[in-house]
Amino acid sequence: MTHRAAARFLRIVFDRFLLLPIGAAIALVWANVAPESYFVFAQRSAFAVNEIGMAFFFALVAQEVMEAVMPGGALHSWRRWTLPVVAAAGGMLGAMAVYLGYVHVKYQDALSPAWPIACAIDAAATYYVLKTILPHSGALPFALLVAIVTDAIGLVIVAPRYLTLEAHVGGAALMLIALGLAAAMRVLKVRAFWPYLLICGAFSWFAFYREGLHPAFALIPIVPFLRHEPRQLNLFADPRDDDAVHHAEHEWHRIAQGVLFAFGLVNAGVALSGYDTGSWALLSATIVGRPVGILIAVGLATAAGLHLPRHVGWREVLVVAFATSSGFALALFFATGLLATGPMLAEAKIGVLMSVAGAGIAFGAAWLLKVGRLAH
Amino acid sequence: MRRRLVALLTFLFILGAHLRSAQQASPLPARPDSLKFAVIGDNGTGDSPQYDVGARMNEARTAFPFEMVIMLGDNMYGRQQPQDFVTKFERPYAALLQAGVLFYATLGNHDSMANRSYPGFHMGGERYYTYAKRNVQFFVLDSNQLDPRQLAWFDGVLKQSSGAWKICYFHHPLYSDGGRHGSNVELRVALEPLLVKYGVNVVFSGHDHIYERTKPQKGITYFINGSSGELRKGDVRPSALTAAYFDQDQAFSLVEVSGNDLFFEARSRIGRTIDAGVIHRQNGN
Repeated sequence: MTHRAAARFLRIVFDRFLLLPIGAAIALVWANVAPESYFVFAQRSAFAVNEIGMAFFFALVAQEVMEAVMPGGALHSWRRWTLPVVAAAGGMLGAMAVYLGYVHVKYQDALSPAWPIACAIDAAATYYVLKTILPHSGALPFALLVAIVTDAIGLVIVAPRYLTLEAHVGGAALMLIALGLAAAMRVLKVRAFWPYLLICGAFSWFAFYREGLHPAFALIPIVPFLRHEPRQLNLFADPRDDDAVHHAEHEWHRIAQGVLFAFGLVNAGVALSGYDTGSWALLSATIVGRPVGILIAVGLATAAGLHLPRHVGWREVLVVAFATSSGFALALFFATGLLATGPMLAEAKIGVLMSVAGAGIAFGAAWLLKVGRLAH
Repeated sequence: MRRRLVALLTFLFILGAHLRSAQQASPLPARPDSLKFAVIGDNGTGDSPQYDVGARMNEARTAFPFEMVIMLGDNMYGRQQPQDFVTKFERPYAALLQAGVLFYATLGNHDSMANRSYPGFHMGGERYYTYAKRNVQFFVLDSNQLDPRQLAWFDGVLKQSSGAWKICYFHHPLYSDGGRHGSNVELRVALEPLLVKYGVNVVFSGHDHIYERTKPQKGITYFINGSSGELRKGDVRPSALTAAYFDQDQAFSLVEVSGNDLFFEARSRIGRTIDAGVIHRQNGN
């Protein structure tokens, strides 16, 4: 019974991406109880986790998004995309405006270049919050599309701003080799995922690194060469181990979970006394700027003739807007990509961790507005 | 009996006054060939305490003719328009600037990045830089962000340095008993190995709005001079780290490097000596 309970607990931890918050919680306690040993560990492990390990996580996300938007996938219909794209743009503009306005009012313009952190949405957190509140509503794919579009734009902005020692030429040639090998494997009908990810991925990783692009995104160009199966709205869930593709994804999922635990452990540790203007700017941007931006954008879009998703009214849109507040994993990643070690990064991390409060606000709003499962 | 008591009290008063005047006499030798400089941090408020400190610095210069001032960041609070450089820098230190004293600044968390190009701060448009004066080499870092390029640069210039004394300064303290911020352990883990490896002697920082001198940590003495404009009264939580501290009024420091000795004296806004001493440099360190 105890064994079964432990297995059930582990399954919940894996299925709900809880290894990341567990790693983050351990890091936060460690950094404030024994900071010297924590920061030695974190600084020594950062490259392996953030630059190499996270490549497997971003590749998995790219794989899952591709499967969701391919024919037969839950997010395939392009008609569904128009409103989320508008909402994503509004959310980004709202978060950016509040963040930049806050640091400007506080005369701390040195924090301005970190504005993309304010735009990041933790898609997994959004998914699980809305799956709890609105499990069978059009709000869930709508929110996921908002998150995917927002984060895709964020990745494009963050990737070239990688804080490398120096960029070298020659990356383009390595990328051509990576893509050529991947294409050849595809022609030769190599079905296993790992030759693509490890051989082609290695070339792609060095290509990104040499060109001064963030190497954590290096496996994404390889993902289109992999085999895909349409994915329903079980995004972020470990797929059933029932065929070759799902088996590979199942293994990949386990590795990504381990990477996320390490990511939380290495990056979320911060001295709590390090809060400052950047922390409040990020908190304001994520729990005020983004929801307001999304609401205004959706309001303008519907006034222009676009329709809300089926069974989604304004109360649901409000809950969705708050559910996207948490930047957590991706915002932490953006922070470590945009800011170097130091107090500015610490401020940003505290702001990102505080943005998790957005999930609580979403539940509070759902309860007050009697939305979804919290209607009664 | 009463007369004897009065005589005793008079004697004690004279003795006390004598001891006080002996304390007030500057411990700085002010040798003609030494390097003399002043230290200020977290100064750029534009408020009257900053002007008071500027006036005390100018007064100190008659007996101790320092040629330069190192600024430990937060050189400018609030708005940072051209007029603010006048009210928060040029006016408070007008007498020093007119006397040709040079200011060498580092960036604090309140400083705009653009301020590194302000000519009065002598940063040459750089976030981090190094310069040498007599037998001292100064290393100025931007502790807001220790990016890989800055760390590689720091390692390189330390390796090449031939300065007998190596003095480093940046805004955020690696060791501090300040209650609001305290020691920045994350920065310490990144910087201390380099400071120790290359024999840096002294580190100056600000950020905590106090004056503090630590006991040597791995051979390095750390000073916090973060109260030359701002002040967080009563903020110090003394610990085993503390050698001296002052958190009751604004303060600045005077430093003299002569041969293998570094003399220091910290003074309050009213010109009272709050800490003084000498650090001896071992050969090869």
